[in-house]
Amino acid sequence: MPNKKTALAFVALISCLILSMGGPALAGDVLKMASTTSTANTGLLDFLAPMFQKDTGIELQFVAVGTGKALALGQNCDVDVLLVHAPATEKKYVADGFGVDRKEVMYNDFVIIGPKDDPAKVKGLTVIEALAAIAKSKASFASRGDNSGTHKKELSLWASAKMAVPEKDSWYVQTGQGMIKTINVASEKAGYTMTDRGTYIKYADTLKGNPPLVILVEGDKVLFNQYSVILVNPAKCQNVKSDLAKKFSDWITSEKVQKEIGEFKLLGKKLFIPNAK
Amino acid sequence: MSGSLEYILSGFEKAVDLLIHLEPETFSAVLATVQASSMSMLASLALGLPLGFVLGQTEFPGRRTVRTIVDTLLAFPTVVIGLLVYTFISHRGPLGGLELLFTLKGIAIGQTLLALPIVVALTAAAVEGQDPRLKTTLLTLGADLRQSARSTLWEARFAVLAAALTAYGRVVSEVGISMMVGGNIKWHTRTITTAITLETGKGEFGMGIALGVVLMVLAAIVNLGLAFLKKRSES
Amino acid sequence: MNSPAYQLSGLVHQYGPKTALLLDELNIDRGSIVGLAGPNGSGKSTLLRILALLERPTQGRVVFLGQEADFESARQRREVTLLLQDPYLLKRTVLENVAYGLRVRGDTNGLEKRVEEALEWVGLVPGDFMGRSHGALSGGEAQRVALAARLILRPRVLLLDEPTASVDTSSARLIREAALRARRERGCTLVVASHDQTWLEEVADQTFHLHAGRVAGAGPINLIRGPWQEQENGSALRELDPDNRIVSPGFIKQNSTAMLDPGEVSLHSRPPQNSPGFNLLFGKIISLNLTDHGSLVRAGISVAGLVFTACLDLEAFSRLGLNPGDPVWLTFEAQALKWL
Repeated sequence: MPNKKTALAFVALISCLILSMGGPALAGDVLKMASTTSTANTGLLDFLAPMFQKDTGIELQFVAVGTGKALALGQNCDVDVLLVHAPATEKKYVADGFGVDRKEVMYNDFVIIGPKDDPAKVKGLTVIEALAAIAKSKASFASRGDNSGTHKKELSLWASAKMAVPEKDSWYVQTGQGMIKTINVASEKAGYTMTDRGTYIKYADTLKGNPPLVILVEGDKVLFNQYSVILVNPAKCQNVKSDLAKKFSDWITSEKVQKEIGEFKLLGKKLFIPNAK
Repeated sequence: MSGSLEYILSGFEKAVDLLIHLEPETFSAVLATVQASSMSMLASLALGLPLGFVLGQTEFPGRRTVRTIVDTLLAFPTVVIGLLVYTFISHRGPLGGLELLFTLKGIAIGQTLLALPIVVALTAAAVEGQDPRLKTTLLTLGADLRQSARSTLWEARFAVLAAALTAYGRVVSEVGISMMVGGNIKWHTRTITTAITLETGKGEFGMGIALGVVLMVLAAIVNLGLAFLKKRSES
Repeated sequence: MNSPAYQLSGLVHQYGPKTALLLDELNIDRGSIVGLAGPNGSGKSTLLRILALLERPTQGRVVFLGQEADFESARQRREVTLLLQDPYLLKRTVLENVAYGLRVRGDTNGLEKRVEEALEWVGLVPGDFMGRSHGALSGGEAQRVALAARLILRPRVLLLDEPTASVDTSSARLIREAALRARRERGCTLVVASHDQTWLEEVADQTFHLHAGRVAGAGPINLIRGPWQEQENGSALRELDPDNRIVSPGFIKQNSTAMLDPGEVSLHSRPPQNSPGFNLLFGKIISLNLTDHGSLVRAGISVAGLVFTACLDLEAFSRLGLNPGDPVWLTFEAQALKWL
């Protein structure tokens, strides 16, 4: 029965293939971190992880999710450390006892982008003025709508402009998707959106430096986006490797790494400003 | 218009590049995909073939209900399976102590749940579609129940193979489970599909298409291999 | 050790509400050849499936080779095997089809040699056929391969369900010869369901005639169809002509059919005295056959256009001195009529 033999050989081959593929994680310590899509998508973590391993011998494995989910992963004891950007939520998180030892690491900034012809005339305005102008002109505004750090930031801006979030208005579009997709939605609708600078740099680059949406509002203090490192509370989660997490927290706030973060460039442009105390 | 065409063309170019140079990140994602999908396929076949046989050939009370349930499970969205598996293997979940979250094994568990109903339903249909004289013949030639099950599946081997291929297609292309349970960790649980999601999220559409092409090449290799086997066993 | 091959008692088998088989008692001796005759749907195949231990009867007792039959495990089932009218061959080579039963038994010593021998038994040249695919066979060859797959198992009982009904004449001959040889050389018990009356009569030690799931006696059965008329006393009357009236107890329906075992019919060369409770008919002998290895005479009698069969032993027949074309009187008890 040659056919049966061939089939058996095939199965055996596959099984061998699987068995022979041991994970490279077998040796050494592994630190699990939940972080946000912005740090992963800009490549910062791919830049930092090998450096951390070289300095400490610890392998950094990171999961890039929205800030909301990153915090939930910590709350469920599924990761050891968090690198997130939603200060108000983070403080409550620590106060609730899920995290400890919160340290500020760096910030980047958000920008408001829109069509070149700027139908709502927001260029050069402050954030509060700009949002009011968009709402008045009923120009399209694309929101992440996914409870991510970026989304939370946007909600806080409406609050600081003393406006209700225009959730029911037809010009306010909640995409429920990632930043780049949300930018594309705004672009399709010739509307506005708020994005982190890193994602915008990538977006502009893929369009060969001639993007339909351009930066219209930037530099306003309320647009700064603070990143912090938080250890998952070992008192609540006995399985977490809090010693490794502590090492990471100390390492990323050290002078040397802070300098590296400041030098990190995306497509030739600096993105993060280190501000650990 | 010309811009999006450019994505596709440069995507193909990149795909060829990634494959020829065995680019380590891509290779790692391919390996992770192959590992997770092989584990889940072995598990779902090991469980699904006997279950499918029982469902297709034996009479027991509640059989119709079970069939309906299995058919319904065919439409289970992968993100729901991912969420379900996550809640079970999260450290707060009942299986938290097994350290399965963010591992390929965890992904394989989810993918097994995805593939199992497909294997069971299609195997049951294949067994049901067999000539009724087959069972009589096997039993009267002295096969016990286990031998008769094995021989019946072997008689239906092409239909069973089609079932496995359908399940494999679903497993290898899913992203919800791999993302939710695997966490898309570079060098570890980043599969081709989660890498595509990541690249698209980064705005690297060309890279996304390139990885998509890699995935299709992988699927084509498996399909051609099985088509070859089928041809050999037919001749 | 010399218990019968089968002892069946109180057997009832139902498919849903339909009774497919109803047998008070039926024994089959070891090493005998038993024929099963009867129209399609009379229960022959059902009986064979039960004898093959493939189907547990709804009720009743089956004793197989002296042991209570076990329908669950493969142990007893491996002593008996059934050949279907239309064989099913596995999607493998002829060699693997014939070897299958030995493989599941884990009995693979000298496998190829034994397959060759089995193929030779059914008149297939091993060198030509062993490597062939299941699909590259004629109907007769496929049936012979199926038979070889059973003979190789050296079963104690071989059950054949219309084995020659759908094959060419030379295959049919080879199949019959191979089956008889198994019984001659190995003492294999044969149970054969067949429409081939001539063959059954020639070789069978005993033939059971089945009608609607019931054994109707030894020999072909007489069927008397309606219209029946209900009599004042509740019995049924079938008037063939004014001189030939059949009375049967217990009228059921106008279009019922009554069965009459040929062994219940007596023949007379002169008009007999008609006694109460008996039917008396007058007809003409149209055929005479010797049957059951020459111990019985089967006579065909035409009565008012209807043909009756009567069976009587050779001795009694000789005393009557009847020839085809002679007038003859038939008597049988009214009670001998059974409603179908």
